[in-house]
Amino acid sequence: MWMHPWKYIEGWSICTGLFITGMVLQLTTGSIEVDMFHYPVNLISGTVFILLLLFLHIYARKVVILQWFSGFEASITASVSLLVLVIIMGLTRQVSSPTDLSSIGGFARTGFMQMTTSWSFFLLFIYFLSILGLVILRRINCFRWKDAGFVLNHVGLFVALFAAILGSGDLQRLRMTASLDTPEWRATNEKNEITELPLAIELKSFRIDEYPPKLMILDNVTGKTLPETQPKSLLVETYPLLSTLLNWEVAITNYLSEAAALITEDTVSFVGFQSEGATSALYVKARNTIDGTIREGWVSCGSFMFPYRSLRLNDKESLIMPNREPKHFASNVIVYTQSKKIKKSLIEVNKPLSIAGWKIYQLNYDESMGKWSRISVFELVKDPWIPAVYSGILMMLAGAVYLFVSAPNPKKN
Amino acid sequence: MNWTHFVYFALPAALCWVGGALFAYKNDAYRRTIILTAFGLCIFFAFILGMWISLERPPLRTMGETRLWYSFFLPVAGLIMYIRWRYKWILSFSTLMALVFICINLFRPEIHNKTMMPALQSPWFAPHVIVYMFAYAVLGAAAVIALYLLLRRNKAIMNVSVMSLCDNLAYVGTAFLTIGMLFGAIWAKDAWGHYWSWDPKETWAAATWLSYLIYIHYRQHKPSHYTIALGLLLFSFILLQVCWYGINYLPSAQGSSIHVYS
Ligand code: HEM
Repeated sequence: MWMHPWKYIEGWSICTGLFITGMVLQLTTGSIEVDMFHYPVNLISGTVFILLLLFLHIYARKVVILQWFSGFEASITASVSLLVLVIIMGLTRQVSSPTDLSSIGGFARTGFMQMTTSWSFFLLFIYFLSILGLVILRRINCFRWKDAGFVLNHVGLFVALFAAILGSGDLQRLRMTASLDTPEWRATNEKNEITELPLAIELKSFRIDEYPPKLMILDNVTGKTLPETQPKSLLVETYPLLSTLLNWEVAITNYLSEAAALITEDTVSFVGFQSEGATSALYVKARNTIDGTIREGWVSCGSFMFPYRSLRLNDKESLIMPNREPKHFASNVIVYTQSKKIKKSLIEVNKPLSIAGWKIYQLNYDESMGKWSRISVFELVKDPWIPAVYSGILMMLAGAVYLFVSAPNPKKN
Repeated sequence: MNWTHFVYFALPAALCWVGGALFAYKNDAYRRTIILTAFGLCIFFAFILGMWISLERPPLRTMGETRLWYSFFLPVAGLIMYIRWRYKWILSFSTLMALVFICINLFRPEIHNKTMMPALQSPWFAPHVIVYMFAYAVLGAAAVIALYLLLRRNKAIMNVSVMSLCDNLAYVGTAFLTIGMLFGAIWAKDAWGHYWSWDPKETWAAATWLSYLIYIHYRQHKPSHYTIALGLLLFSFILLQVCWYGINYLPSAQGSSIHVYS
């Protein structure tokens, strides 16, 4: 061991050494603090890292041992070690904040429950990335066009990982709650501190399209929908509708998409009502397919104005309508920027708005008000490293196509 | 051109593909196989083009439109693999997958109306999942072969050509795995603002991917060490099972995965 030429055993030893070092650091100093790692610290560390790799690469001409680090043995042992940590990570529950950890006790100190900020993971990851860097440098030193696939895959991965890590320090993720017709420029970060932004959002209107109502059967005692393992539901897309749900033949004779409940002393009925607070209601006739009992009445999911209404079928079961699920939700907004630009836009889930270096995502709304929410919650993300990460990803995509198209010819032994 | 015309293009294209898949099993029908499959692709692409023109945008916005592209690209992938390696069964496989998506588009069952959380209604959703499924299928084939070879430790059947079959499948599978993963990352960035959040499904996807990379590199390094390589192939596939549905049963993943829908 440790004699030229190095083989796998040296690789395993190095990785084990890094793992143990990481463990010692973890137990003595705790998890890694990532707070400091923003501009310009990240840029400087990144540059130093690249320079160091270049230095090692050039120096490897003199020191033969260094050449081992750009070979298969180093690559494979580093990858396997990282794989082991990722598998451990997959097997242990990950917690997001250190405060959750104190209740867990001893095991938490290993850092495995916050793998991505643990020292072992960090050290092995940096080692892995360094090897990838050295592999690339050695290979592009004598670049030929047939190496294009290799370059796309390896450089792509390197760029994507490198940029994503450096960029994570500069990433700003803020949350803003905008109310109807009031421009808002304050937002909170992940630590709930309030920040003022160089842009303001005014919510002009908020809209939810909902899926058609569903009917489900509820266990009166446990309050759970049936069957417990995989609740069945009946989607009421059209009416009148005749269908079955578990042991019940269900006929829907009336459907009010926007309705108000009329509550008298001993009855509840529903009438059409197209205004704030409206709920949905179905008139249902249910017949038990086993004993033939018949029940009928209104079923409604309720809203912040009207109580929900279920139909009691027998001692054990009731028919209910869960809250209608949102299909789309979208906010009509006006965004004001410092450069006096005013932009009207519709922000939807999956359709963020890009403006002045920020991306504005539709995140949430006031769920207790549902469809009638008067607020809309946005997430604002600023990630200046995006182009670098995307260029890495694009290279890898091209590399994958290459991997697929090109004939893999394992070197003949 | 609109969806009502789809059937007039899809059926002839599907017939061509089925014909091509059958011809692939005949010994002297190499060119007929290719021509028939390619002809089917032309018919199918004509429909895509027609939609493109009449919509005045590429048909990539709705789920049905994206499915159109898979039905198209699956036989493309199959055809490339057939031309490269002449596997007889590959076209049956790709045709079958393509037919599934054509049928979904033809019969448009609940899929379109069925409730689906807004974040999933993205043009990335279908490619992300489809590409993954294709990878799963190809890597499944590789795992079956690896298991067979490991159990029948018979030197006679262990040769370069059967190992290069494993390699080809692993390369194609890993390529698709990579594409699926990167589509997922781009989509996540678009929908939630981060590429990768180490959610349990993502963690296991990373493990799976890394494991297949190790296989690829190990094969490059030690092409004659079959047993370890085959073991790696099987192990990778086990990781893939965990990622696919195993996490539903893992205590560590309970209640914290945003991927519960799959
Ligand atoms: C996107 C992920 C990756 C893919 C698809 C990939 C694929 C490949 C392929 C197909 C080859 C052989 C191709 C050729 O020689 O032209 C190769 C070579 C190699 N790869 Fe990777 N690889 C990936 C990531 C990595 C990583 C992360 C490392 C190291 C940590 C690595 C280390 C190596 C080494 C050392 C070689 C041999 C290069 C040589 O000796 O010329 N690869 N890779």
